[in-house]
Amino acid sequence: MHEATVCTEGCFIKCKNFFCEHGQRLSELLHLCSDVIEKIGKGDTSQKIDIKVERYSLQRLIDSINKLSKDIEELINLNHELAIGICEHFDVLRRLQEGDFSAKASEDSSIEIVKMLGQLINRQRERFLDYIDKIKEQHSEMVKIYEQERVILSSIGVAILITEEDMTVEFVNEEFERLTGYTKKEIEGKMRWSDFIPEDILPQAIEYHKLRRISPSLAPSQYEIKIKDKHGRIKDALMTVAMIPYTKKSIKSIIDITERKKIQEQLLHSQKIESLGMLSGRIAHEYKNILTGVLGFAAILDAKIQDENLKKYVQKIVEAGQRARDLSNTLLTFSRKEDISTVTKINLNKFLVNYSEFLRSIIGRDIELKLNLPESEVLYEIDPAHLEVIVLNLVTNSRDAMPEGGEVVITLNEIHLNSDYQNTHPLVKPGNYLVLSISDTGTGMDEETKKRVFEPFFTTKPKGKGTGLGLTTVYGLVKGYNGHIHLYSELGQGTTFKIYFPQKNKINMELINKEILKGNETVLLVDDDAQVRQYIGSFLRDYGYTVYEAENGEQALKIFEEYKEKIDLCLIDFIMPVITGLEVKKRINSINPKTKILIMSGNPITLKDTTIIEKSISPEEILFKIRNILDQKE
Amino acid sequence: MADRLLDYSGLKCPYPILKLSVQYPQFKEGEIVEVIGDCPTFEKDIKAWCQKLGKTIINLEKHGLKIKVTIRI
Ligand SMILES: Nc1ncnc2c1ncn2[C@@H]1O[C@H](COP(=O)(O)OP(=O)(O)O)[C@@H](O)[C@H]1O
Ligand SMILES: [Mg+2]
Repeated sequence: MHEATVCTEGCFIKCKNFFCEHGQRLSELLHLCSDVIEKIGKGDTSQKIDIKVERYSLQRLIDSINKLSKDIEELINLNHELAIGICEHFDVLRRLQEGDFSAKASEDSSIEIVKMLGQLINRQRERFLDYIDKIKEQHSEMVKIYEQERVILSSIGVAILITEEDMTVEFVNEEFERLTGYTKKEIEGKMRWSDFIPEDILPQAIEYHKLRRISPSLAPSQYEIKIKDKHGRIKDALMTVAMIPYTKKSIKSIIDITERKKIQEQLLHSQKIESLGMLSGRIAHEYKNILTGVLGFAAILDAKIQDENLKKYVQKIVEAGQRARDLSNTLLTFSRKEDISTVTKINLNKFLVNYSEFLRSIIGRDIELKLNLPESEVLYEIDPAHLEVIVLNLVTNSRDAMPEGGEVVITLNEIHLNSDYQNTHPLVKPGNYLVLSISDTGTGMDEETKKRVFEPFFTTKPKGKGTGLGLTTVYGLVKGYNGHIHLYSELGQGTTFKIYFPQKNKINMELINKEILKGNETVLLVDDDAQVRQYIGSFLRDYGYTVYEAENGEQALKIFEEYKEKIDLCLIDFIMPVITGLEVKKRINSINPKTKILIMSGNPITLKDTTIIEKSISPEEILFKIRNILDQKE
Repeated sequence: MADRLLDYSGLKCPYPILKLSVQYPQFKEGEIVEVIGDCPTFEKDIKAWCQKLGKTIINLEKHGLKIKVTIRI
């Protein structure tokens, strides 16, 4: 530092002595001041002039320079702090903008505005993060809704398909997989809607597809269509189409109506046959009246005419008239809803064995007739003359279909048709039936013929050979017994006619040996109705069974738990309070899956994987059913 | 070896750090940058900058008035 100097003269400026050491000091001092000022100008405020002089003006200069240095230093510091604050906030803003939300501004600047800027940035950042959280929440909510929708679409029982504008399939559900036989994987993104349409209706389907995208109201939103499955099978379907909003995609829901259509056709067909029968019956009736007149007057004429030559002609009239009357009678069998008068209970086994002798004589040597009869005897109430007509007509047709010889098999058996069967055969009521079937190995029939065989006068046989009334008559007779005829025929393979006769008494108990209904097994009987329990329990015991009784599901499970080793079969009421029959069945099966279970119901019902008996059937029938189950016949 | 050299000689503070703030976002993370300056407060400024922005000073050399600072971005 510079030493303090004191000029003895008191005034450096007025000093006349050039060589005065004080004068030299003054110039040194001024140089020093200039140096320091220059440094301050460069921003270096570290220098201070630490000199005390006596001369006031000089001391003031020194003090001013020192003050300047201090002031400038403050300015520089402020400047630096501002600059560093700006740099920092700039960097935080930049990082936030780039999506780096870990960036946070510091809020510790001593300059208020820089500090507040930092706070502002942080607050903005938090608000942003809140928005992002909210958006994320909404997004996950949307994803959930989307997934829910997909699950609904996937599991709904209607086939669903979503197509893009270019017909590419974007989505199909499980039902669509079932309908077409393709898997989701094979279809989605790979197949087109057009791949499922049979060629003949493809142009129209494409037209609708395009039209729907141009003018949705012009394309029908629901129509019948045909769907081609993986195996090339064509299915009838009812389709509903809608555009998906904001897209060019459409959603199609498809219901398979193949079965329904087939059933409709069956109904129409039987109605047609019936009305044809009615018509021909009416005509036959009218003719018969007219013929009565013709034959009556011909008889009078015959009596009056003496001339043998003329008499011959009258005879011819009478013969022709009689033939016409016979024909009318045959036609009437078909339409007449007459009482079946000479109905008697006959043993069908015996009847068929006896009648086959006669049948063999008419079918000739080249055709073999086989009888396939059940061991137990089958009784049925029917007019044997009708049965003869039915069998004779069917067997002669078989004979005609086998000019080169072959085989005719007559089969008799009893079956139970449940309501599942009714779904596909709407005209057949569920119940027990006697089935008489006649099969041949003949020419078979094409589809056209099959449709028309029951029509009156339909024949493919040469004139004089066929009347076309055989099957018409059979149809009429079978209807008279509330029966049904089913026809199976394959060109070149053969033909089977199956006749279903309804059975009033389901099982003919008179023919069942009571001994075979007996058993020594243990049965758990569950029913909330004490009377029913008592009734069923008593005849079970009569027939040798050991019976545990339970009046509800809970009790039943308790008993079963205790005697599960002994109990062979459970007989459970379908409808019970608290725990239902099916629930009891489920729980018992979960204890022992092998336990045999029979559900009893007041009404005729059918359930999958469940054997059900109606309570109203006779004790023998219940015992018979139990025996069958225990002996694993069912 | 530095990936980049920024010479701020002749620039008065706080220009160097203001310039550096604008330039450095283009650099890659982890890059080594040498910054040269000759302002008397340069050293103080650059140190404050590095501290606030979380950068590491690897080396600091003085050649007379000039200062060379090596920074990892
Ligand atoms: N078992 C059969 N095999 C082949 N075609 C049959 C058979 N039964 C009936 N048909 C066909 O049905 C037509 C009608 O039979 P039907 O009513 O008995 O009259 P018809 O025997 O007088 O022709 C027959 O002409 C024949 O084309
Ligand atoms: Mg015939």
